[in-house]
Parts: sequence; structure tokens; C-alpha cells
Amino acid sequence: MREYAFFLGCIAPNRYPGAESASYKTAEKLGIKLLDLEGASCCPAPGAFGSISLEIWYAMAARNLCLAEQMKKDIALICNGCYKSIWEVNHKLKQHKELKEKVNEVLKTIDMEFKGTIDVWHLAELFYDPEIVGVQKIRDSVKVSLEGTRIAVHYGCHLMKPRKERHFGTTEHPTWLEEMVGALGAEPVEYRNKMLCCGAGGGVRGYDLVHSLDITNEKMINLKEARVDALTEVCPFCQLQFDRGQIEIEEKFGVKYNLPVLHYCELLGLAQGMSPQELALDLHGISCEPFLQKVL
Amino acid sequence: MPRTKGYPEALEKKLADTRLYEDERHPEFTKTVEKLSMSIPHMCYQCGTCTASCPSAPRSSYRIRKFVRRALLGLEDEALTDPDLWLCTTCYSCTDRCPRDIAPTDVIMAMRNLAFKRDIIPVNFLKTVQAIYTTGHGVPNNDVNRAARKKLGMNPEPPTTHAFPQYVKGIQKIIDYYELKKNADRIVKEREG
Repeated sequence: MREYAFFLGCIAPNRYPGAESASYKTAEKLGIKLLDLEGASCCPAPGAFGSISLEIWYAMAARNLCLAEQMKKDIALICNGCYKSIWEVNHKLKQHKELKEKVNEVLKTIDMEFKGTIDVWHLAELFYDPEIVGVQKIRDSVKVSLEGTRIAVHYGCHLMKPRKERHFGTTEHPTWLEEMVGALGAEPVEYRNKMLCCGAGGGVRGYDLVHSLDITNEKMINLKEARVDALTEVCPFCQLQFDRGQIEIEEKFGVKYNLPVLHYCELLGLAQGMSPQELALDLHGISCEPFLQKVL
Repeated sequence: MPRTKGYPEALEKKLADTRLYEDERHPEFTKTVEKLSMSIPHMCYQCGTCTASCPSAPRSSYRIRKFVRRALLGLEDEALTDPDLWLCTTCYSCTDRCPRDIAPTDVIMAMRNLAFKRDIIPVNFLKTVQAIYTTGHGVPNNDVNRAARKKLGMNPEPPTTHAFPQYVKGIQKIIDYYELKKNADRIVKEREG
């Protein structure tokens, strides 16, 4: 069993606890043990916090990295926003000595030091990696096939972009998450402009809600055209924007979609036999019932 | 839906005049942006691939190409006082597609950092800082969520700074090191009283 320090972030544990709970359980069935990263904080939010000061953003993310270094474990996480902060700061501090020294000067005041001894992974990439889990193992773990459902994928931005700094290959038309959806028995569905941003990032959701929802609405129109039963993603912040966002879109624009939005770990949990109650799907803004009726 | 930009009057006037005045240029602004962004906006040949890739462009007057141009020409005031600066969702589509290997997203982030130094910052960004300072989380726990966690058999407080609040002190020390909380409080108070 591989062990990772599980970096929770904010939105999964504080808004969608089912996604957190599903991560522990689904990962364990696939040979990954997620350990508590005690005292971790907000990553901090790359858009909101990074816009104010990248320097402080580095230092704050480095504190979280130090906690995992003390545990001598690599970090696994389930949020693209967290990936941007935690993965990127780890990467940059390892690369730039001057930056690292500057950050360590601050960390010294709280008796910490960034050493650069661990790596950071998104749980989805660990699931996809054949040397760690792989699509076949995901397929073998399925108890309740999602056959007969059409599911679209939202990749989000900060996991794979900027492409040159990351290691995921194409960001124009990736298909690896679709493979992981197909492994659950569901039909992965393509839709127009699937790599479009959810609209929430960069502090825009807080700065200009209508603007941010208008981007989300464009995605919703494209998803509706593709006649999908559910949308899956690997980022709780995108999840919040699509799920609670649909309620806000109804308020602001008067359009209703009722499209269930599930984190990939929640979807995998369902396929591995977890009940909707165990996944706290009732906390979602948009009811998952129509989708569940097709599955269960 | 009609949308107004809410530009300051002086800026509105300046934008109407598209001529470039030498005395408005600050070459050191270009250098500072390049250093902060670790990118090379001076290489831009204004092809517009960035704006064409931008999810914010079709629904606002935000033009990322314009901001890269301002970085290149050193038009500091024009760049930092434009409210559109805050409409970038940081999706990095422009960065992935730029044929000159510039990272326009990081150019925007650098400009936002410089704007903050002049107290130009939307309040919602500062409120995230205040929340993190108090609880360690930008989106903190609430009672509905605590009840749901309990029902799931989980600790109502996640094993972060929520269950281990002793760690909040370290976070506050880092933020105070840069006097960020003090500045955030001051600016929020100025705006909201």
C-alpha cells in the first residue's frame, strides 16, 4: 500500500465532505492510503492570494509543503487550485535557489525550512498512472457499473496548464479522464469547447459574479447540447461553480439546467458500491437523483 | 445585459485618446513586470492569439493583448488602474497558445501584485486573506457542513487548521511578516467603513 499525505484544501472538506470521504475510501481500494496532513491550511488560493502577492503565496504554500516533508510523504490532493499552489510552489522552489532562500528566511520565524524532499500529485493522476493504479485496476474495482449513463468531463485549468511546466501532454484535447470515466462503465461524452474554464478562478467569482457565471453558462449550454446525465471534474472549486453556480445562473439569467455535478472520486465511490448517503450527495446544490436513478 | 466599466473619469478620458505619449512610459515598469512574472512580454508581436483564447474577452472589454502591450510600452498607470485587470480567470489558455512563449497570465498576476502595492485591489481578494488569517482557510467550515461530516462518521472539523488550530499562529506569523493583514484591514475599512 502506497502512502501519501492527503492535502485537503478548503472546499472539499468544508463544502463537499462526501468528496473527501470518497477519496479515502476509493483510494484505499486501489492500494493508496491517504494520511491526514495535520495543520494544513488553505493552499492558499492561487487566484485570490497570488494576485495580492506571489511572494507571500510562495511562503504560505511552502508551509504546507514543510508539514508533508516532516511526515516524509509525498502529497496527494484532489483539487486543481490546490495543485496550482502546492505543486507549482514545490516545483519553483526546487528550481530557483534564490526564491527558496527568500522563502526559508520567512519560514525560519516559525521554525520551519523548505528542503525540497517530496513530490506533489493529484489523486486523479495517481489513479491514471499504470505504475501506481491504472485504468484496468479502476475497472476491476467497479461493483456497480455506471452503464447506460452519458458523462461529460471537465478537466479544469490548473492541473494541466500551463502545459510547458506540467507533464500531462496536450491541453487542447486530452482524453485520459474520459478513459477513467469509461472504466466505470459509463459512456464518456465529448462536447463543444470542453477545455473552457469554469469561470470561477483568478478571484473573478468574487470580483464579478455575473461575469464568472456567464462563462459557466456557456459551458452549461454546450453540455446541454450533448445531452449528458452528469458532469464530472477533479476540482472542488469547479464543482462549486457548476453545482451552486447553476442555482445562481437560474437567479441571474432565469435558465435552469439541473445537471448533476460529481467529483471523479464521488463517481468512483458510487461505482465501487458506496451509497449516495455515504457520499453526502444531498449536500449538492443540484439534485443527483435523476442520475442515481439511472445507476442504482 | 448592459454593463458599465466604472472607469475613473481621468482614465476614461485617457483611453479615448489612443496616442502614445513618451512621458507616460515607465521603462522600469516593463522590467519589474518581467522579473515578477518570470516571463518576456517584450517579445510580444501583438498577434492576438491570447485575446482569441480568453474566456473573459467575449463578455467584457478585457483584452489580454492590450495588457501585454502596456507591459511592453511601460504604460504603468494605464495598466494598473484599469478595472479589467481583475477579470482574468487565470485559465492559462493564452499561455499555452502564445507563439512567442510569453505567459500573459503571469504578466497579469505580476501587474496585480504591483497594483496591490498602490492599494488598487478589489475587496473580495482581501477578504480571502482575512479569512485565512483567522481560520487558516479561505473557505472555512460551517454548521451545515459540520453536521454532514458527523453523519458521514467523520470528525466535524477536518484535520487541517480547523481540528488543529494551534497551527493558525504560524500562518499569522507569515502573513504579519509581510504586514499583509494590517494593510488588508486598512483597505477594507477605507472602502467599507
